[in-house]
Amino acid sequence: MLDRDAVMTAGVLWTMTSTSNPQPPRKLDALAALLSFLVPGMGQIYQGRVGKGILFLLSLYTLFFYGMWMGQWSNVYLPDSSVANNYVFRFKPLGDVENRVQFAGQFWIGIAAWPAVIQYAASDPNQPNKELPILKSYQKAPSETRLNELQRNGDKRWDLGWVYTVIAGVLNILVIYDALAGPVHRDVPGKSDEKKEAVAS
Amino acid sequence: MSLFSLMAVSIYWDLPVLLIVVSLVYSATRYDKWNMILYEAARWGFRMAVFLGAIALVLFLLSSYL
Repeated sequence: MLDRDAVMTAGVLWTMTSTSNPQPPRKLDALAALLSFLVPGMGQIYQGRVGKGILFLLSLYTLFFYGMWMGQWSNVYLPDSSVANNYVFRFKPLGDVENRVQFAGQFWIGIAAWPAVIQYAASDPNQPNKELPILKSYQKAPSETRLNELQRNGDKRWDLGWVYTVIAGVLNILVIYDALAGPVHRDVPGKSDEKKEAVAS
Repeated sequence: MSLFSLMAVSIYWDLPVLLIVVSLVYSATRYDKWNMILYEAARWGFRMAVFLGAIALVLFLLSSYL
């Protein structure tokens, strides 16, 4: 069994040594964060961390578009719905996000989810079949009949697909933070992660 | 449901994509050095695979024997 006093002493010593040599505060890079919001990894590429930026770009776009493919390209959208009976937001557009809460996660993938916003802005209840010139029906809210078809006749991949797209969007929030303030563990030569690095290499 | 028919269900084959991407991206937001990113990604990927595998096993046993 561990001696409790020894553990406490070690904890206090660690705190003292870690606070006696504080690292300088991080400089926040808002432009890089914005770039990473628009396109995952773009902020890191702008900062010169090219390999990591490409990793984020490829990984998150793979996950996002793989999820869309699983959902037959019909699971990223923002519906123009009735918000009168909502619990939280009874006004647009937040009421519509409440009715399709998945979009609150998908939105963070950046430009890749903007067609859904354009489709939402251009939607006309009097012309539900109207298609936009370039986007056509890409990321347009599916009709009730189509949704029922996708959910009832499929093999649950439509649902799993939107989960993938939401995870891609939420992961991009971590990527945006990485661009804004750097990685969680900063490199301090000879101090942190020595043991792990030895194992890793 | 037999183990073979369980493996034939397509959604299980979609999970590796999720595992690889989540572990790589999460690790890359924690470290800048490639050896650390890959080491952490392998650790997280293994943990998630074990966790999901355990859940799949429990569900398989429940659906087969209960």
